[in-house]
Amino acid sequence: MIAQTLPPNDEGHALRNEPWYLPQRDEIALFDAAYAARLPVLLKGPTGCGKTRFVEHMAWRLYRQQRSARRQLDIPLLTVACHEDLTATDLVGRHLLAGDQTVWMDGPLTRAVRSGAICYLDEVVEARKDTTVVVHALSDHRRLLPIEKTGELLDAHPDFLLVISYNPGYQSVLKDLKPSTRQRFVSIEFDYPAPEQEAMIIAHESGAEPQLAQTLARIGLMVRNLKEHGFEEGVSTRLLVYAAQLTVGGIEPRRACDVAIARAVTDDRDVQQAIAEIVDIVLP
Amino acid sequence: MSDPVALVDAQRVLGLFAQGIGGRYLHLKPTQSLGGSFRPQSVTTDGAAIFLPEQVDLFETRRDNLGFYRIAVLHQIGLIEAGTYAFTLETARERIPGLPAERPRLGDAGVGLARFFGLWPQPSLMRLLFMLCEDLRIDRRIARLYPGARSDLARAMRHALAQRPAFETLSLRAARLEALLRYTLGVPRAAACEALQALDPHGPLPAMLDALDALEPRCADVYDSAQAALRCYRLVAGLAAIETDEDPDASDPGQRSSSAAPAPPGPGQATPDEDEPVDDYPDIEFRGEVMPELVQRQMRAAQIEAQLANAGVGSIDPQQVTDQGERQMRRQLEADRVALYRAFGHLDAGSRSFLIDEWDFHGQRYLRGWCRLFERRLKGEDFEFIDRVRQRHGALARRIKRQFMSMRPESYRRERPVRDGEQLEIDALVEQVVRRRTGQPPDDRVYMRRERGQREVACALLLDMSASTDYPVPQPTSAGEDTAADTTNGRQDPAEEEDPYLWAAQRSPDDIAAEQPEPRRVIDVARESLALMCEALDTLGDSHAVYGFSGYGRDEVEFYVAKEFTEKLGARSWAAIAQMKPRRSTRMGAAIRHASAKLRAHEARTRLLIVISDGFPEDHDYGPDRNDHEYGIQDTALALREAERDGVRTFCVTVDRAGRDYLRRMCEPDRYMVIDEIEELPEALTKVYRAMTR
Repeated sequence: MIAQTLPPNDEGHALRNEPWYLPQRDEIALFDAAYAARLPVLLKGPTGCGKTRFVEHMAWRLYRQQRSARRQLDIPLLTVACHEDLTATDLVGRHLLAGDQTVWMDGPLTRAVRSGAICYLDEVVEARKDTTVVVHALSDHRRLLPIEKTGELLDAHPDFLLVISYNPGYQSVLKDLKPSTRQRFVSIEFDYPAPEQEAMIIAHESGAEPQLAQTLARIGLMVRNLKEHGFEEGVSTRLLVYAAQLTVGGIEPRRACDVAIARAVTDDRDVQQAIAEIVDIVLP
Repeated sequence: MSDPVALVDAQRVLGLFAQGIGGRYLHLKPTQSLGGSFRPQSVTTDGAAIFLPEQVDLFETRRDNLGFYRIAVLHQIGLIEAGTYAFTLETARERIPGLPAERPRLGDAGVGLARFFGLWPQPSLMRLLFMLCEDLRIDRRIARLYPGARSDLARAMRHALAQRPAFETLSLRAARLEALLRYTLGVPRAAACEALQALDPHGPLPAMLDALDALEPRCADVYDSAQAALRCYRLVAGLAAIETDEDPDASDPGQRSSSAAPAPPGPGQATPDEDEPVDDYPDIEFRGEVMPELVQRQMRAAQIEAQLANAGVGSIDPQQVTDQGERQMRRQLEADRVALYRAFGHLDAGSRSFLIDEWDFHGQRYLRGWCRLFERRLKGEDFEFIDRVRQRHGALARRIKRQFMSMRPESYRRERPVRDGEQLEIDALVEQVVRRRTGQPPDDRVYMRRERGQREVACALLLDMSASTDYPVPQPTSAGEDTAADTTNGRQDPAEEEDPYLWAAQRSPDDIAAEQPEPRRVIDVARESLALMCEALDTLGDSHAVYGFSGYGRDEVEFYVAKEFTEKLGARSWAAIAQMKPRRSTRMGAAIRHASAKLRAHEARTRLLIVISDGFPEDHDYGPDRNDHEYGIQDTALALREAERDGVRTFCVTVDRAGRDYLRRMCEPDRYMVIDEIEELPEALTKVYRAMTR
């Protein structure tokens, strides 16, 4: 079958090692309980606050821990980064022309439904409206995926779970989840972690000294105070980790913050300079 | 050679810097703009704004001069964050035993700190000592929290020290205070004592410095400062008493260090004369001359205002209690406002301000940061407004909506060829078969897909809310008369009104014409047109914003936001539009520049700015001469051209029949419209919009 030689267009994740995650509140217990009841989960929160890492961590806990009955599954997590040209067929699958024949190829959602993996639709509001409707039958008691093109009506594997994420702050007026979609999910809300936790995350992810990590977390807090000026969201934890990684890699800390924070969050020169001034006084 | 920094240039960066550090927006303004007795080079705050010198030229490099601004801002934010203004006398009594009872006084005693200072025979000495302790505490906190600012702080302190007067020129009391102050500026303890040794060999300085040790720990708070100030006060004031009149009370040294009731004699003796003025005492520039008791008043006034604004919404108190409480609050608010007005002149809290350039037509140059524009949110309670508009203009609304619907892009456009879609695309399919037969690599894009078309238009509607919009709309019967002249010449002169500050405090402009049912005014029709436009734009799915502008003078350009692009059109937006009322002048250039900047910040392929006005640009200082309309017209013309250059399409609609004269010079030929009957406005706007977004 030629289909097997085609590269999958999504990010399957084998998750051999445990992805590190520092809980903010009770999200791990919530997700565990939701998974136990196979309730679909919606993760809300700003970019770079740890939603994707959380899903990876949960997938590892549910599929890779010693005592897990699901350890034999090769790819426990299928992540799809949604964008405005993403169609329902991109998720479900399509017929491809290969030589003289047409070959059906499962999309990532279908593969997850068949194999019992977690399917994670990242930034789901970015996708076309028809895409979100596809998941309706999957996300209620029916747990069904109708595949229109092949006429198949697929029952979800008992282990399958649908997780979607969305970012309510970003262009919320233009793009919003329909109530009919939203009301099928358990919503877990995320925000940037508290400074102490964020410092721990920065230190862990970058190997930076605790002192530097704490300073960067403070900078993050201050830059987030400016978020309505030219950028939609505050600086993400991810960017703070980048700044720490650059510093650990030998870049002067002010320069590292300049490229990883000030220039990354905005193009507005004044805002960039204001961030540079904040960085300058907070760093030793 | 020095390289000065002007506040105009640094203002935005510093403002953002302050917001980042402090977590809330603070206006930054030149101290010169204050009406009070502040020196133009000093720094101060009223709690809502930080006032800074217009220029800093103290050091050689630009970087160091900017560093001065940074430290000044950090110090002011430090006072807010470290709780200086959170001081209450009640907590002070718990923390500091033996504070004397308050003396009865007439009128409002003010808030926490004012009452604390008022406990002592020499309130201004107490205030000076208290601020000295607070300044020391805050500067230590800055050095601790912001290591990168230490060099700025040290430089500012060195500079301040170099400016201090010599001990020999001072009275003994002033010299003692001076030595204390030098210590807070980083002079080591031994050096400070030594400097005063010759003048005051057995003076209280060492004991005063001991008192300041309480401010050393990280956890020291405002009450520790108050206590340290109190110890210093007893030392200074007590000794003064010994030296002058041998006050038997004060000569008991045991009493000084104990926490017993302080030296001050009974109420009768506390005459103002005893309060030797300390106001001529030169300030430390970067710390500024802060009057903490006034800042507390400002904060209380803001709090009361917020409470009054929220009252009635979800208030469950019985009517009477609310009324009584409200009266009490209003009295307090009035007292605060008067006190603040005396000290600071005009105040504007709770809105953002921006410095906007202006084009000086006579000098052919830009005046940088010439106008200060205040952006304010409009909030209204007239939730029936939109129903009235819909009732009155039912047929018109439907017609406009229909016209807008016809503008909708094809609901769907066909995408082809694509890899996946609803229908097979025959041409591509044939091509594909051919390719396969001829052995070429296949292209699997053989489908056709319907895509919902998208309009990417952002439209800002900018309404002139000048006083002249209060004029009644001429009745259709009298249409022949030339009413345009009335509109322009008959403007209310805002200068003739009461003081604008008190005016705003006492009667809201909403009251002016609210009661009279008719006749309809220019503003009514304009508002309704805006409402109809918004409704139509909403059906069309184009993002839109509604702004209004007015103001009085270059320091008070008002920019009202009724609806932002990012808000959904709803009850709140309608009520805000209903709240657009006639105000004052028409400084159009600044408003256009600001609206254009807001449009540019919004992502869209087509950006559109429609200005709706009823007369030419005009303000009392818009140009060297009030009657010189050319200046305003030229500035507006350039503001429009700047907007076009930055990718914002502009259009001016005026209901002033004399408008052709000046619009011709302000706008490109196809970018303006004069409508004769204001009732035509809704349809005119629709036409304009269709033409502009085609």
